[in-house]
Amino acid sequence: MVAIETTELTKKFDGFTAVDGINLKINKGELFALLGPNGAGKTTTISMLATLLKPTDGKTLVNGYDAVKEADKVRQSIGIVFQDPSLDDQLTARENLDIHGRLYHMHREERRKKIDEALEMVDLSERADSIVKTFSGGMRRRLEIARGLMHSPEVLFLDEPTLGLDPQTRRHIWEYIKKLNGEGVTVLLTTHYMEEADALADRVMIMDRGKIVAEGKPSALKDSIGGDVIKILCDNPEGLKKAITDCKCRVTAEPVVTDGELIINVQRAEETIPKIFTISNKESIEVKSITYKEPSLEDVFLHYTGRAYREEEGNEKERMKMRVRVIRGRK
Amino acid sequence: MIQDIYAIYLREMIRIKRSRVRLVTTMVMPLLWLGIIGNAFNSAFKIVMPVDFISFLTPGIMVMTMVFTGTISGITTVFDREFGFLKEMLVAPVRRESVLIGKMLGGVTQSIFQGIIILILGFIMGMKLVSSSPVMAVAGMLLTMLLVSMAFVSFGLAVASKMSSMEGFQMVMNFMIQPMVFLSGAFYPVSSLPGWLQWGVKVNPLTYGVDAMRYFSINLHEFPIWLDFSVLAVFSAALITLGGWAFRKS
Repeated sequence: MVAIETTELTKKFDGFTAVDGINLKINKGELFALLGPNGAGKTTTISMLATLLKPTDGKTLVNGYDAVKEADKVRQSIGIVFQDPSLDDQLTARENLDIHGRLYHMHREERRKKIDEALEMVDLSERADSIVKTFSGGMRRRLEIARGLMHSPEVLFLDEPTLGLDPQTRRHIWEYIKKLNGEGVTVLLTTHYMEEADALADRVMIMDRGKIVAEGKPSALKDSIGGDVIKILCDNPEGLKKAITDCKCRVTAEPVVTDGELIINVQRAEETIPKIFTISNKESIEVKSITYKEPSLEDVFLHYTGRAYREEEGNEKERMKMRVRVIRGRK
Repeated sequence: MIQDIYAIYLREMIRIKRSRVRLVTTMVMPLLWLGIIGNAFNSAFKIVMPVDFISFLTPGIMVMTMVFTGTISGITTVFDREFGFLKEMLVAPVRRESVLIGKMLGGVTQSIFQGIIILILGFIMGMKLVSSSPVMAVAGMLLTMLLVSMAFVSFGLAVASKMSSMEGFQMVMNFMIQPMVFLSGAFYPVSSLPGWLQWGVKVNPLTYGVDAMRYFSINLHEFPIWLDFSVLAVFSAALITLGGWAFRKS
C-alpha cells in the first residue's frame, strides 16, 4: 500500500524553483528520510504534502487523497511536527493537546485518554499541567511530537525533529520515532543531519537545490559509490587529481577536490594508497596526510552533487528567531 | 464548524486569562483619563452641559478602551504567525473561516469585557445613567460595543496580515488609532467645534459609535440613532470583510 505519492511535484516562488519535479513514492509503514542541506527544498516539499502550500505543478496523493482537492481529508489523516516551534507557550502541555484534540474532532473521553497516552509516551506526564513557557527546547519538541501523534494519524511528518537539540535528547527523540514507526505509523522526516537519516530511515532521498539527487536504502546508497573513500591533503590537489585520472587507476567515481582536499572513491583503499604515493612521488607533489574510511551518506552527497555537504548559515530572520526562542526559553 | 470555532475561542480565552499584565497595561490610559481629566473638568463642565463630565466622558472612554483592546488583540495574530501556532491551526482539518471567527470572537469578548470594566469604574467615580429604560440602555450599549469591537478586531487582523513583526504596531497606534479616537468626540462635545475640526469629526465613523454609546447611557446625542447604527454597521461590515480577506490571503 502506498502512503504518499507525488508526480512531478513542483513549487516556484517568484521565478525561483524551490522544488523541481519530484517523484516520490512512500509505502505504508515506511520510515522515510528526506535528506539535504538547508535550502534544498525539504520543508517546501513537506509543506505541500501537508497541504500548507499549493504546488505550482504536479500531483500529490496522501493516504489516497489529493492534497489540493481533498485537503481536509489529508489533514485529518496526517500529523505534523514543524521545524519551527508551533506550540502555544502560554498554555499548559495538556491545554495544548486538548485544543489540538478539539481541532481534530476528538470526543471528550477519547481526548482525555489520548492526551494521557501521548504525554506518557514522551515522558511528560509529570509536567502535563505546567505552562509550556517553562519547558526546555527538548521538552517542547517532545510535546510537539506527542501532539502530532495524538489523533492517531496514518502518516506523521517530522520536519527537522532534532534541530538544535543536544545529543542525548536527540537519541531520545530517535527512540520515540522508531517506536512509533514500529506501531505501524508511516513516518516521513526531513533532516540535514546525515547520521540521523542513517540511523533511522528505511529509505533515504537526498535532495539538493529542489531536485532528487539519489534515493534508496542508506546501505545501498553507500555501496553505490563503491568501496572506500580516500582523502588526501597535499600541496597540489588539482595536479594530483589529474595525474590519478591519467594513470587509469581503478577509481569508482570521478575524483573531487573540495576544501583543498582530494577525495577519491575506490574499491579497496589499502591497495590504492601505495599507488597514490608512487604517483605523487613521480609528480613531486608533497602529500601531507592521507586518510581513508568506509563511505558515509556525506560521501554519497558529495559524490552525487560534487559539492561538500555543509550546514549553511541561516539567514538573518532565522537567526533572529533562534535568538528570540533562546530568550523566551530562559524566562 | 461550531466545535472548531469553540476550540480556537477557548484558546484565546485561556491566553487572555494568562496575560493579566496586558489586561492591566491596557487599562492604565483609560483610568488616567477617567480619574484625572474626568474629575478635573467635572464641575466646570456642568455649566455648559446638562450632565457632569464623568458621566459624559465614561461612554467615550469605554469606546476608546474597546478600540485599543480590539485592535491589539487582532494584531496579536502576528505572534501566532511568528511563533508558529498559526501553522498548527492551518494544518488542522478546520476551515480558515472557523479560525478567523474564533479569533474574532475572542478579541470581541475581551474588548467588551474591558469596556464593561470601564463602565463599572465610571459608576464608582460618580457616573449617572440617564435612561427611561435600563433594559434598553443595556441592550443598546451591548450592541454598540459589539459593533465597535468587531470593527477594530477585524482592523487589527487586517493590519496583522501585512505585518511581519510587532515593529509596525506603534505606527498603527500613533498614526491611525489615536487620531481616530481623538477625532471621535470621546473627550469633548462635538456640537460647537470650529469648522475644520467639525469636518474631521463627522467623517470619522467612530464618532457615531461614541454618539450611540452616549445615547443609550446618558440620553445625550448629536446625531439621530438610526444614522449612528447605519454608519457603525457599514463600517463594521467593511472592516470585517477586509480583515477576513486579509487573514485568508496571508
